[in-house]
Amino acid sequence: MRQLNVTIKLAWILAALFMMPQAAAAATAGPVEIVCIQCHAKLPGKYGEPVKLWQGSIHAENGIACNSCHGGDPKDAANAMSPARGFLGVPKEGAIPAFCGRCHVGVLKDYLTSLHGKALGRGGPTCVTCHGNHNVVKASLDLINEKSCSRCHSFKQAEKIKAAMHETEKMILTIETRTAGFKQQGIDTDRLEKGLFAVRNSFHSLFHTVDTVKVGAESARIQAELKKLENTLNGIDEQLRKRKLIGAGAVAAALLAALLFYLLRKTFERTEP
Amino acid sequence: MGLFKIILDWLDRRIGVREIVAKELTGYLLPRNINVWYSMGSILLFIFGLQVVTGILLLIHYVPDADKAFKSVTFIMNDVPFGWLIRMCHAVGSNMMVLILLFHMLSVLFMGSYKKPRELNWLSGFILFNLIMGISLTGYLLPWSQLSFWATSVATNSAGSIPVVGPFLVEFLRGSKLVGPATLGRFFALHVAVLPLAIAGLIGAHLFFLKRTGISTPPFGLKESGNQWQGDIYRYEDHPGGIPFFPNYALQDATSIALYLAFFLAVVFFDPYLFFTRESFVAANPFQTPAHIKPEWYFLANYQTLKIFPNELIGLSLQGAAMTFLALLPFIDRGSERHPLKRPLFMAAAMGGIILWIGLSIWGHYS
Repeated sequence: MRQLNVTIKLAWILAALFMMPQAAAAATAGPVEIVCIQCHAKLPGKYGEPVKLWQGSIHAENGIACNSCHGGDPKDAANAMSPARGFLGVPKEGAIPAFCGRCHVGVLKDYLTSLHGKALGRGGPTCVTCHGNHNVVKASLDLINEKSCSRCHSFKQAEKIKAAMHETEKMILTIETRTAGFKQQGIDTDRLEKGLFAVRNSFHSLFHTVDTVKVGAESARIQAELKKLENTLNGIDEQLRKRKLIGAGAVAAALLAALLFYLLRKTFERTEP
Repeated sequence: MGLFKIILDWLDRRIGVREIVAKELTGYLLPRNINVWYSMGSILLFIFGLQVVTGILLLIHYVPDADKAFKSVTFIMNDVPFGWLIRMCHAVGSNMMVLILLFHMLSVLFMGSYKKPRELNWLSGFILFNLIMGISLTGYLLPWSQLSFWATSVATNSAGSIPVVGPFLVEFLRGSKLVGPATLGRFFALHVAVLPLAIAGLIGAHLFFLKRTGISTPPFGLKESGNQWQGDIYRYEDHPGGIPFFPNYALQDATSIALYLAFFLAVVFFDPYLFFTRESFVAANPFQTPAHIKPEWYFLANYQTLKIFPNELIGLSLQGAAMTFLALLPFIDRGSERHPLKRPLFMAAAMGGIILWIGLSIWGHYS
């Protein structure tokens, strides 16, 4: 009976002890969202739709949240949309390029000097015409397509530009994929990413100039920059290959040691009683 | 050789080193039917040593500050000579330690070595297992990556479902309402000071119990595999006519450690990313929630258990009950038979438990 009591007491103590680390180990509760998402996600129609669209965007992928563009306070539900907290709301059509251009400064400059920009306010396209608004997709050559361009004009000129930029785009995508692969191996790709970001920006600004001659001239310079990035990536590849070779040697040495210890053990086995 | 003998003689005259060697190494006899599973403890000691060494090396450059932690880990991985190797050894080593610990516990379970008079060995080992889980959990946060941040947010959140004290407990674990710099500070202190000292102390206690009780005889290949100890007086289980620990079984330990090392190095050099996800190499961002955050493989069964039940408290209570049952197993399973094939109830429960654990883990992984 006494032994049973001791066992029960021990059970309580251990239950308290062991529940904590196990409990802390796994749960299903989700993280806290910013207040804009908390409210708008529950709203119907045009008020809730931007959340869904934004969730699949390049902005969401890069942590650019509602307040990054629309201002306001994402931590205070009561004052989230207060102009005093910098809330800007929805821009009018003519103000869209300046709205997006607060971050995409270079692109804004190129756009404004292009034929597209010059037609702003006279039926010309704004940023959202090609890129979408909340579901902003990653800029790529795919954005230049017959369906999209022929909404306003013939696809002929745009097709020429697209063809001239194709090779460079392919290089950018390859470098991007390789860089992302290295990043997932813990390699510091910060400089590579920044380098690629700069080259990509310079490349993407060509999209907005809508100028075939300029595209041809600039593509060669951009490709030379990309080649430098490719060389850096090749260097990392070589380093990783060397590591694997050293690793193969280390594994072989450990296996050899295991074999030697085993054989030595066998020699002593003969002397065992 | 001459110099070695001079040193040995010098030491022997002062502290009787030859007597210690004769008693603790060459004269320390082990059961003749001892098997390879008995070397799991030595492998674990080796891993713990390696974790301590790599951990100290990481401490040279790691900065436990929420603004600098991720950068310092990136610096270790990219700029410190062999920093990537040290970090990978530490991260892969922590997973390996849990894996080998599970093998060690399973071998003890199946060979009935937890039974009297070895209840204290089992209990100290079981607490060690929990501390190893704790040190793995606290270490997970330190790189301050997206994975670290969100996995810790999710893990600490579950304590909130405990009635009355839950919310207080969550805040106590985190040091603030949400995971933040205060959490990093306390997890760092736990990971590098409190838990290693506790683990080292318990390893000492575990080995002390082993030395005092004597090593158990494997139940295999014996006519009589029952427990002989009656529980009346203290008795050291010796093994007259057994094989010497040194050099014989020490060489078996060395073989096992070298084999483990080969496996460990193969993972470190060829696929350490087995234990990392894409979010492991992205800095923590409290405003950007990754899509699928899962705990480490050894917590997946716990994670899935909590998801199965509509009320987290039921899941937690079940886990607590299962862990308590395991901890108290030597006091519950009091039969003297140790051979697994002669214990059908134990075999059925153990196999069922293992299959359930693996099943829940797989479910948790894909859910």
